[in-house]
Amino acid sequence: MKVLVGVALLVFLAGISYRIYGWITHTILSEDGTAGPDRLSAAVKALLSTLFSGKLATVVKTFFTDVLLQRRLLTKSPLRWVAHSLIFFGFIALLLMHGLGVGFSEFLFDDYQSTVQPFITLRNLFALMVLVGLGIAVFRRLTDKPQRVKSLASDWGALAFVGAIIVSGILLESSKIASYDAFLVMAEDYGDMTDAEELLPLETYWAAEHGLVSPNVTKPYDAALVEEGSEIHADTCMDCHAPMASAFVSFPTAKVVGPISAALGDAGTVTALFWLHILCCVGLLAYLPFSKMFHVIATPVSLLINGVMGFKEPGSDPANVLNRRMIGLSACTHCGACSELCSSLMYYESFQNDFILPSEKVQVLKKIASGQSVDQATLDNLQKGLYICTSCDRCSEVCPSGINLRELFISSRYKLLHQGLPETSMWSHFSFPLSLARDFVDDHKRALEKLETIFATSFAKLKDLTAITVSDPVQVGTDSYQSCYSCQRCTNICPVVRLYENPAEKLDMLPHQIIYSLGIGNKDVAVGSQMIWSCSTCYLCQEHCPNEVELTDIFYNLKNEAIRKIEGGRA
Amino acid sequence: MKLAFFQGCNIPIRIEQYAVSATAVLNKLGVELEVIDEFTCCGYPVRNVDEKAYILPSIRNLAIAEKAGLDIMVICNCCFASLQKAISMAAGNPALAEELNEVLAKDGLHYSGSVTVKHFLTVLHDDIGLEAIRKQLTGMVSDLSLSVIHGCHVLRPREVTKFDDSFVPKITDELLALTGAASLDWNGKLECCGAPLAGLNSEVAEALLNEKVDGALSAGAEFIMPICSYCHLQFDTTQPNIRDQHADQRVLPTLLMPQLLGLCLGIDPKILGLEQNTTIDAGHVEQIKTKLGPPVEKKKKKKKRKQKVSA
Repeated sequence: MKVLVGVALLVFLAGISYRIYGWITHTILSEDGTAGPDRLSAAVKALLSTLFSGKLATVVKTFFTDVLLQRRLLTKSPLRWVAHSLIFFGFIALLLMHGLGVGFSEFLFDDYQSTVQPFITLRNLFALMVLVGLGIAVFRRLTDKPQRVKSLASDWGALAFVGAIIVSGILLESSKIASYDAFLVMAEDYGDMTDAEELLPLETYWAAEHGLVSPNVTKPYDAALVEEGSEIHADTCMDCHAPMASAFVSFPTAKVVGPISAALGDAGTVTALFWLHILCCVGLLAYLPFSKMFHVIATPVSLLINGVMGFKEPGSDPANVLNRRMIGLSACTHCGACSELCSSLMYYESFQNDFILPSEKVQVLKKIASGQSVDQATLDNLQKGLYICTSCDRCSEVCPSGINLRELFISSRYKLLHQGLPETSMWSHFSFPLSLARDFVDDHKRALEKLETIFATSFAKLKDLTAITVSDPVQVGTDSYQSCYSCQRCTNICPVVRLYENPAEKLDMLPHQIIYSLGIGNKDVAVGSQMIWSCSTCYLCQEHCPNEVELTDIFYNLKNEAIRKIEGGRA
Repeated sequence: MKLAFFQGCNIPIRIEQYAVSATAVLNKLGVELEVIDEFTCCGYPVRNVDEKAYILPSIRNLAIAEKAGLDIMVICNCCFASLQKAISMAAGNPALAEELNEVLAKDGLHYSGSVTVKHFLTVLHDDIGLEAIRKQLTGMVSDLSLSVIHGCHVLRPREVTKFDDSFVPKITDELLALTGAASLDWNGKLECCGAPLAGLNSEVAEALLNEKVDGALSAGAEFIMPICSYCHLQFDTTQPNIRDQHADQRVLPTLLMPQLLGLCLGIDPKILGLEQNTTIDAGHVEQIKTKLGPPVEKKKKKKKRKQKVSA
């Protein structure tokens, strides 16, 4: 067993080192980030300056409120907080009291023995806490409607691993309670009793009171033997063996497990369950750094950074901004809290792109950062998902792991825009907060130019028309354009037309010309005119039109069509 | 009166002082506001991309308010217009309403059309009323010239927004008259701040913004008062960004209606967050405070004027 634990511990330590190494070396989409040694020194510097500044109190406070007590989760969802607290505190208590019983509990309590009170009851209580917590987590994952955030194999895997440890532990304790072989060994070790006849009273008493499944005694038990056994028990066992009923989970379970285990051969069953339990424990230990359970290490770090820095200022050192990005990625537990409150939630319904949801963006960014290959279609969707964002920062505010999602998304967005297709969503008002922030002015401009180029070459222009033809009426969401009687009031009142010396040259077509072209059934030149992307949507034209032509609404319709055509041209 | 406060995406993270000052003013006047976490974006940002995707979020937000049994109050003009547009679209196109309701059903929501959407200014002007506000005034300003910019999407298209007379709006000026401030008659009052093109056509966006700032300055404005959150961000964030680069261009400080009204209602300037406006510093706050005096009874003047006219 020592070998197993040793190997698992080595794998665990190697894995943790590898993941922490990733924090200071990984990048997203080959960012021109600083090299590993610089990032390490930046991280150490930041760490030291935090520790030796007035911020230590903030760190301690954050550790208690955000890390241990999970304040952020509590404000987001009390039910999840209950589940997380039950699993976390139950598991940690089991780990310390039971898993590390020899080192930890014996150090704290001189008389620690796994067979005495209160340790039996506590062990069962902690196991029950974890089980109830897991139950709530599974229930939530199955019943949360609507299931926009899909549970991944890694999510179920983590729950299953923890569950397996607890269930195998309970089965192990139950089989031990019932085990006749274990009884014989203990009777010999502690009572020096080996003779079957001498053992009978104690055996009867243990079968009657403590869940022993004996091949020799069966119900109804002989009251006199039970009485006699009880006295032997008081003399030899009681001092260091509490009544098994105090194992309030395993004792009732033993009534089911006992007979099965006896039928299978209880010594073998106990040994098998013991190894199963040990394997689950060391398995989780070794697997932890490579699973989402790594959050037990990364999330506290992320929360502490968030406690000190918040998310609104990215930080002055680019090396540490990169470090925090990578820590953030490994701190994500895919809980979906960000996606539930995402302002763009309904755009996910409209555009059916998983990557509009912040939690799903993180999953693929994780892949990219760790160097796994991601296909082009996924990258295209990710690019769009990153752009369809209102920059409301709710995700960063609610993230129970304190990840600076805003910073992560903005930087990745421009990396992808730089490499990827012209992004039609740039012509939406999602661009407004980006222009306000002025963080990536040149990148934004370059990406916009890509889109302008494809727009300029995708449509016929008015000046290229050689002849005017008349076609059937067009569909632009309203027929009101047919009422135009050519007064040109729209163009005369337009504040954009007014800006230019020679507006027709700058805008391709003026508002009244667009309405004329619709009138003669030529929608293409209207869709391709610069006017629609220079329209400020102030509605002055529409409001002032004497014949109630819905110009601005028509322009919106033409813009929708221009984007649809550019998107369609890619297929 | 209790209303669901629809803040949109910009206000909570970028103009918190607008929400806080508006809430302080309304609470003072007896209106209770509830912020509902489940509200999402209004849909406005995707209007250029897809009409249906633009309507869906507003229908959902309306359904959320319906479920909470509250009418909605909005500050941001673009959110206001989106919600009003969704109402009129759903009313005029039952098939579309049904289609969108199918999406809402996933969240156990249903839109039936029973919610009213009110603009912050309408709540002040119509629901509370000018007289009720006047009674609560603890001060008034004198000699303060403001340029109001209404923002387009609260006024137009009038059939959809149903806010005020779209050619000669009076709500804003009547509310400002309560504070004693002079609302200037200037060119940009009903025109565009450039925000809808910011980030996608910066040339036009900045030209429109500069035109408004210059127009307000030459009309003699000491402050500009935007109603819409987008206009506010144009004047309070973009303006200093683009104008500070030119030594000859002045930056016009931005003041919000509930900040000024709040001062006249005796609310602490710190709560009203005046200095959270990028373009306002302690000097500006002092400037307004020195102009703040006890409320003046205006009725007598009016009577005198009437007598003169009749005489």
